[in-house]
Amino acid sequence: MEINKEALFVIENRVEELAVLFENIEQTAEIWELPVPLMMNINLVLEEAVSNVIFYAFEDELKHEIKISISLKDNLLTIEITDDGKPFDPTSLKQPDISLDAEDRPIGGLGIFLISKIMNEVHYTRKNENNILTLYKTIQYEPDK
Amino acid sequence: MNLTNEKKNEFCVLNIEGRIDTTNFSQFENEINTLLSAGEKNFVFDCSGLNYISSSGLRVFLIAQKKTLSLNGKLHLCNLQPSIKEIFDISGFSSIFKIFDNQEKAIQ
Repeated sequence: MEINKEALFVIENRVEELAVLFENIEQTAEIWELPVPLMMNINLVLEEAVSNVIFYAFEDELKHEIKISISLKDNLLTIEITDDGKPFDPTSLKQPDISLDAEDRPIGGLGIFLISKIMNEVHYTRKNENNILTLYKTIQYEPDK
Repeated sequence: MNLTNEKKNEFCVLNIEGRIDTTNFSQFENEINTLLSAGEKNFVFDCSGLNYISSSGLRVFLIAQKKTLSLNGKLHLCNLQPSIKEIFDISGFSSIFKIFDNQEKAIQ
């Protein structure tokens, strides 16, 4: 059976919108019959990516839209986050040294790292004044029905 | 998120329920700071009810560990759900915390 599903969400650049996004993801995951641990991981990578955009992408006080699309084509899960903030390539960040002791571990820098570990591939492009972050993960997808 | 604490042996046991994320991590951080200000320096975080954590929450765990170490105190974790343990493993946090299977072991 060929699987081809897609969902699109648009939120404002306010941290309170994350809760709305999570509710939408949970509903979508239920309809698509995704396993709960996968839904939690989708939630996590979206929180990390979208909160970065909300906190750091905009230098004005205006409302901005952040677009989030999630698609499932056969076994490939694709998540795309688009914002019109300043150019920022999260894939350019230095990976944290996770072998350090607690005393020496710097605070922060884990968000993008978690995304790169949970997903199989992370791509960034700047197009038409937009940042587009695309995340890919191959999943085992076997809905019951 | 729901936080409750109780004293067991020389440990302050903090029971964490729900999620720790970008929207509520400061509540968790404030609770730890309040307990530190009250003179607590040995902690057990019982994570049996913790079902979601993002980097915002991990950040507070790391700050708590740094603070208790600087006071020559202890921070023990117990009852991590598998999905939470996985996040701790991925981020290298499993090696910077003492993690116990259950609360009885964690308060020794």
